[in-house]
Amino acid sequence: MLILKNVTKSFGGIIATNDVSMKLKPGSINAIIGPNGAGKTTLFNLITGKIKNDAGQIFIEDKNITGLSELQITHLGVARAFQITNIFPSFSVKESITAAILAKNHGLNNIWKRFKDHPAQEESKNIAAITGLDEVFNIQSDELSHGDQKLLDIALALAMKPQVLLLDEPTAGMGSEERWKMINRVKDLWKKTNMTLVFIEHDMDIVFNVAQKIYVLHQGEILAEGSPKSIKNNQNVIDAYLGGGQKKNEST
Amino acid sequence: MEVLALLDCLSAPACLLSQAVGGLKIGMLLFLVASGLTLIFGVLGIINFAHGILYMLGAYFAWQAMELTGHFGLSVLIGAIGVGIFGLAFERGLIKRVYESNLLIQILLCYAVILIVDDLVMIIWGDEFLSSIGVPEIFQVPPLFIFDAVIPPFHLAIIFTSLLIAILLWMLMTRSRFGSLVRAAAINPKMLEALGINTNFIRYSVFVLGSFLAGLGGALAASERSIVSQMGNSILIESFIVTVIGGMGSIGGAFLASLIIGMARSFGAVAMPLFTDGLMFLIMVLVLILRPRGIMGEKK
Amino acid sequence: MNVSIKDSFKKDAIYSVVSWIALLSLYFIFNDHGIQDIITKVAILGLFAMSLNILIGYLGLIAFGHATFFAAGAYTLGLFLQSDFIIEYNIGSWSIPIALSLSVLLPGILATIVGVICIRLREIYFSFLTLAFQMIFYSLILALVGITGGDQGLMGGFPKPPFLGIDLGIHFHFYAFTTFIVILAVFLMRQIIESPFGYGLRMIRDNHERPAALGFNIRSHQLLAFIIAGSLAGLAGSLQALLDVGAYPEWAFWSKSAEPLFMILLGGMQTFLGPLLGALIFELLNDFVSANTRYYGLILGLVILIFVLGFKKGLLDWIVIRGRKN
Ligand SMILES: Nc1ncnc2c1ncn2[C@@H]1O[C@H](COP(=O)(O)OP(=O)(O)O)[C@@H](O)[C@H]1O
Ligand SMILES: [Mg+2]
Repeated sequence: MLILKNVTKSFGGIIATNDVSMKLKPGSINAIIGPNGAGKTTLFNLITGKIKNDAGQIFIEDKNITGLSELQITHLGVARAFQITNIFPSFSVKESITAAILAKNHGLNNIWKRFKDHPAQEESKNIAAITGLDEVFNIQSDELSHGDQKLLDIALALAMKPQVLLLDEPTAGMGSEERWKMINRVKDLWKKTNMTLVFIEHDMDIVFNVAQKIYVLHQGEILAEGSPKSIKNNQNVIDAYLGGGQKKNEST
Repeated sequence: MEVLALLDCLSAPACLLSQAVGGLKIGMLLFLVASGLTLIFGVLGIINFAHGILYMLGAYFAWQAMELTGHFGLSVLIGAIGVGIFGLAFERGLIKRVYESNLLIQILLCYAVILIVDDLVMIIWGDEFLSSIGVPEIFQVPPLFIFDAVIPPFHLAIIFTSLLIAILLWMLMTRSRFGSLVRAAAINPKMLEALGINTNFIRYSVFVLGSFLAGLGGALAASERSIVSQMGNSILIESFIVTVIGGMGSIGGAFLASLIIGMARSFGAVAMPLFTDGLMFLIMVLVLILRPRGIMGEKK
Repeated sequence: MNVSIKDSFKKDAIYSVVSWIALLSLYFIFNDHGIQDIITKVAILGLFAMSLNILIGYLGLIAFGHATFFAAGAYTLGLFLQSDFIIEYNIGSWSIPIALSLSVLLPGILATIVGVICIRLREIYFSFLTLAFQMIFYSLILALVGITGGDQGLMGGFPKPPFLGIDLGIHFHFYAFTTFIVILAVFLMRQIIESPFGYGLRMIRDNHERPAALGFNIRSHQLLAFIIAGSLAGLAGSLQALLDVGAYPEWAFWSKSAEPLFMILLGGMQTFLGPLLGALIFELLNDFVSANTRYYGLILGLVILIFVLGFKKGLLDWIVIRGRKN
């Protein structure tokens, strides 16, 4: 169970996260929505310890992880994929996933084995298979398609065997068809494991169809939370979020 | 370390004053060279590891002009302008090609230019030391004695000239349109391009300005020291130190740091003659550890 | 495909032994002190450049003060062999092995101190800090005249007592011993680079932000790499000191750090043996140019320009990439 209690963070004058509280049920699939700059990525950064919060507390199960380093929090079972793909360009898919597995197990400190012959190579095959990367298993990361790079980013997170998986816009930069393919894959992954999954997504269709619970973030605050149905009918959300969306459409 | 010698000097007005003036002179000449280095880094984002040869060329050009014209002021000016033109060719011909390259490539390009220019200088002017171009006639007078300190008027002239140039440079950077363009280019070159301003022009004019200043430093230094192709080495190293201590890209920081290094050199020569260089690097290490952006460097 | 752990290790071991035998045969084929000495020098410089390439090519850190450790190794060896310690404790025939071990150990300790401070900074700031430490070290060598001989270097030579039947005073023994040590070090480096640790280095080079989110502590990794690179540079320096029977302050000057950078550029940084090839080209260029013209810098500078602006990568990298494409 991931719990946030009154988490706040500001950058200079901008309050990026304002008094956010959340309780994510174990094994649930959740979505965070909100316009650009709402503070969604910042929230992920706070949970994973990449940046430190100014106030509030964060717990995994009963453990207070507030103020722990990104490194420690990763080892406590929180993994993430990034909005802007964050991979290792010169590594093949196989090498990337193997390296991630070794990183998690402190295996990268080993000087006496050979990386290429490491048993973790076998395990990486499984992760590639469940993320659908088996066909590009030996391709170098920077030569992969955009979609496959996003998948690889997720595969790296999966190698952490996380309890909580945070996906920052897994469908960013994709066409509609590709988006659905991606999100179905994510949903499959979630079903096969008992992870708690949180994803950030702009496509409302996807969000309402896939998520069990939705958080609407607006200017750093939680504007609304609840089941897809309750969010759809929430007047605040319709005013602020959909209103904001419309304005944006007009201006572009 | 000779602490006693240092204390003796600090408590004797004569020694104190003459070392201070000496430090000021070193510091101001250093500022001429280092301000260009820091300016180039701030705007072009590259470290000109070949900055020392600009200083050295300034000295040679001035020497050559002195041979031909016999006029001190004119020779110094020719030296500085000559190096400015050399800088233009250097930037357009070579540096331009490695803006996007990694640090290693940039370092090696500069290393190559140092090797080549050193040899060319040797081919043209020979590998013997050339004698200094001498002090202009009006300064060929007995030194001043202030509190028993021996102070050559020419040193004061160098200090004031450099100070004047520092002020001009400061005005150029803060009060002119060119200055605001340069500062904008340092912060956000893409924005300038979007506004239809030729950033290429800004880049090479900054490089030329930096070269001119280094050449001027070399030409002025040539008035009193003998000229040799390796003369740029130590000033290059000192300019790095100044750039780092002052904050990379900061002219004001370079000014302060130049004074610090000038004084460290001058008084260090009394206190620990064999370790003055080490002392300067120690200051640099401390600044990098405690405040990597330097005294006046801006956060990225 | 399924090569066992022992096999790839064994393969490299066999390559190493074969290379050594090949080098020994070259000694007799060429039977010329000039050429034989070039091979020794290339081996030493190659080790120096390869140790630096751990940082540059694999870790992605442009260390600009690597000669610090080279010089530290050289002075450690020289000072130890000159010390009264050897006579006092009657170390005699063990003095060379002990000296060499110390020349790995002390630079390693120095690298630990310098590394802890330097790896906190990135990019140009890292480079500057390594340069600053190097120049402090250089100034210390010049200042501590009583110990180091100041700008004259470590004078007066030192004894090289035979050990285990190896007499480094004999030309062939020296050649065989140096090449053996270098190949051993290269073999070790190969193991390190191909180990999970080595891939950790590549991860940091490729992306220094992501590792933390994979639970990978890059600081300790970087530090260990810095120490390994420093120790091996120390070993190279000590071999150079054995060769020249002395040690000189210029070995700690910044231009000595530029040399291996140049070798890496010449040979290639993405290929394991690239820097070694670079050292060979560098040494041949050196020999050829200084034998034929006074304008050594001019030629060397032009060659660097060709590589920097033309190839943009080292020779071996270039060959390997061409090979992959065809
Ligand atoms: N490291 C940072 N420094 C300063 N401001 C930041 C930083 N990260 C995010 N912000 C600001 O916080 C706000 C929220 O950003 P972000 O969390 O990235 O939004 P979202 O992911 O919802 O689009 C934005 O105004 C952004 O500019
Ligand atoms: Mg975002």
